[in-house]
Amino acid sequence: GEWAVRVVPWSRELPGAWRALHTSAVCAKNRAARVRVGKGDKPVTYEEAHPPHYIAHRKGWLSLHTGNLDGEEHAAERTVEDFFLRKFMLGTFPGCLADQLVLKRRANQVEICALVLRQLPAHKFYFLVGYSETLLSHFYKCPVRLHLQTVPAKVVYKYI
Amino acid sequence: MAAGASARCLSVRGALRLPLRCRWAGVCEPERGCRFYSKSAALPKDEGTDVTGIEQVVIPKKKTWDKVAVLQALASTVNRDPTAVPYTFQDDPYLIPTSSVESRSFLLAKKSGENAAKFIINSHPKYFQKDIAEPHIPCLMPEYFEPQIEDVSEAALKERIKLKKVKAAVDMFDQLLQAGTAVSLETTNSLLDLLCYYGDQEPPADFYFQQTEKSEELEQTTEENNKRASVKAAHQAGVTWKARNNAERIFALMPEKTARSYCTMIRGMVKHRAYAQALDLYTELLNSRLRADVHTFNALIEARALMANEKFEEKWNGMLELLKHMSVQKVKPNLQTFNTLLKCLRRFHAFGRMPALQTLREMKAIGIEPSLATYHHIIQVFYQPGSSAKAPSLIIYDIVNELAGKAFSPKDLDDDMFFQSAMSVCSSLRDLELAYEVHGLLNTGDNRKFIGPDLRRNFYYSKFFGLLCLMEHIDVTLKWYKDLIPSVFFPHSQVLIGLLQALDVANRLEVIPQIWKDSKEYGHTYRSNLREEILMLMARDKHPAELQAAFADCAADIRSTYESQEARQTAPDWPATPLNCVAILLLRAGRTQEAWRMLGLFRKHNKIPRNELLREFMDSAKESSSPAQALEVVRLASAFSLPICEELTQRVMADFAISAEQKEALGHLAALSSDSDSDSSDGDSSDGDSTKGR
Repeated sequence: GEWAVRVVPWSRELPGAWRALHTSAVCAKNRAARVRVGKGDKPVTYEEAHPPHYIAHRKGWLSLHTGNLDGEEHAAERTVEDFFLRKFMLGTFPGCLADQLVLKRRANQVEICALVLRQLPAHKFYFLVGYSETLLSHFYKCPVRLHLQTVPAKVVYKYI
Repeated sequence: MAAGASARCLSVRGALRLPLRCRWAGVCEPERGCRFYSKSAALPKDEGTDVTGIEQVVIPKKKTWDKVAVLQALASTVNRDPTAVPYTFQDDPYLIPTSSVESRSFLLAKKSGENAAKFIINSHPKYFQKDIAEPHIPCLMPEYFEPQIEDVSEAALKERIKLKKVKAAVDMFDQLLQAGTAVSLETTNSLLDLLCYYGDQEPPADFYFQQTEKSEELEQTTEENNKRASVKAAHQAGVTWKARNNAERIFALMPEKTARSYCTMIRGMVKHRAYAQALDLYTELLNSRLRADVHTFNALIEARALMANEKFEEKWNGMLELLKHMSVQKVKPNLQTFNTLLKCLRRFHAFGRMPALQTLREMKAIGIEPSLATYHHIIQVFYQPGSSAKAPSLIIYDIVNELAGKAFSPKDLDDDMFFQSAMSVCSSLRDLELAYEVHGLLNTGDNRKFIGPDLRRNFYYSKFFGLLCLMEHIDVTLKWYKDLIPSVFFPHSQVLIGLLQALDVANRLEVIPQIWKDSKEYGHTYRSNLREEILMLMARDKHPAELQAAFADCAADIRSTYESQEARQTAPDWPATPLNCVAILLLRAGRTQEAWRMLGLFRKHNKIPRNELLREFMDSAKESSSPAQALEVVRLASAFSLPICEELTQRVMADFAISAEQKEALGHLAALSSDSDSDSSDGDSSDGDSTKGR
């Protein structure tokens, strides 16, 4: 409103309807990793229901590695690898992932812990496990292991 | 000594502190910090800490520990978890196999996934070149299967030999000869190696993805009782050596032949079953005054034994001849020599026993340590499958006594057949103590590795558990049952029937419903012999009330499996015995409604009810004082024209208060049955026979 006057030069005399630029700092709403509240019919998992400020309070981390500790290097490479692994798993197990992957790095190994739905018969799961373990091991030149846990349906924490 | 104990500290502390410690050797005590991992108890504490007379300090050699010594120590504290599956499977109820068929299919699926990934990696090698592993891991790099060098040269030939392209290599060799370039002896020899190994055929089509597949095919061809080795050989080397093939041609073209060329040819011929030619080539080798190596002699011994049209004594003499040649040419025999001798002696049946023992003595005299394969062959020599009923040899006891407590390392391809043959001998001798000893040997050290693949492991444990069911006290058997099944092997239905009979003998029939529940998990839900055995055991005698109720639940469950089977098949057929048993069990437990419904099924499936069944139904009708039900029983009996019909009719007349029409109906039925009885008793009996059959 009238407080725009502090920026506009005082050559302005005429009060009334006029427009100004919004030049104060923008403060947009946080949208990161939050599921917007609906009518009460949207099922969300525990992971989705908690926004990121609950990490280390009510949530754990999805990717565990030592790259972010003091004096450790290659944190960025780990992050890029994480992205690739998540995309790869999303494509290899189509419609089967019930929740985000948990990636654990121990020594030079990578352990992918996935929660899967029971969409495929068991021998097909084993085929995909053998395939992804071998392909990812050859790609990253380190042992990659897959641990699956099956659930009948997505585990709903609440409806929002 | 305290000196000795302190000397150990010295080796821990390191060289730096050595001079200091020397002076103090007499008075220092062993420090708590320098205790190694050792399987034995604490260091023996010698008397007194005061040492009078300080002797010379003898510093022992520094111990070098394996890199994984700590892990081995930790591993030795952990036993097998009988509730877990092998680690190759995912640990999730949906993904855990419940039968041996499923476990095999899951492992094959996983392997085929790996092959698919390798195929993709090798088709697009440029995406997998980035090497971030330090140090370099060669097995994670893409492989190249196509020859890169295109021109006609020896390097190209060497590359094709390395890539195992048989036809391409032979073509390249011919091109080189035509162009006039001489091929070096070394390369020609390696080309001969390739040709002789594959018998002038290309390596099998799925060679690159073979790995464990080939060994699995071999097991599929071996029966449980380890049939004659010749059948196995026929499957193994399906390729026969053709006369005048490329190998022979190239061999003839060679300007100079070394011992290595002769040896390769001989071994190739023997591998592909050209025994006479191999022996002829050997004489040629001797004429050229060359020496054969030990592997060639092993092949020749096999050739001598497998030649047809000779008696056993001649063959054995021939083999001894070859051994003499070996010692004359100063070629030292190795483990394979003796194992080959013993393997060939198996074919000689009873004649092979004495030579086998001689071979074993010779082996020990030379100082070659026998491997498990040696003992396996000896067992096969002495315990021929299907041999006569003479007193069986007792050599198995000597063998097991000798092997007790030894840990073996793999030295021969046949090492993993020992336990299977040993356990089958124990089983045929019905000796439980011996079986325990063999099992103890299996659990010594790392000997578990020698149990072999799935089929052999199943065979071993089936025999072991069968023996336990026969001979061991029932509590111990049940403990083994919980321990072994299903974490080690999935039981065959025969094994479960053996267990049920053991429970019968020990009068522990209350465990039967639990066994049925377990059998359903192992994929035996529709196994007829198992279901009938269970039902017969439950229905034989009367039992107290809760047990009867449990049996009835089990019977109802089995009945539902029969019904679901009916629904699936077009020609439903329910055998007579289960019908009888289920009906009796339901009746005894007081589930009268269902029991009476079962009676109706008899007529539907045209199966004859037993006399005891009808009597029990009559008793139950009496208890509920229902003449209509009694009449129903009589009607059923007369429908099948059973001789018991009269007895039942009289009983109805005597025990029940029946109305006039009912009496009339009874009279009718009685007349009917007696008429048909007198008319065509033959037809009835044949009728009865055909319906009694399943």
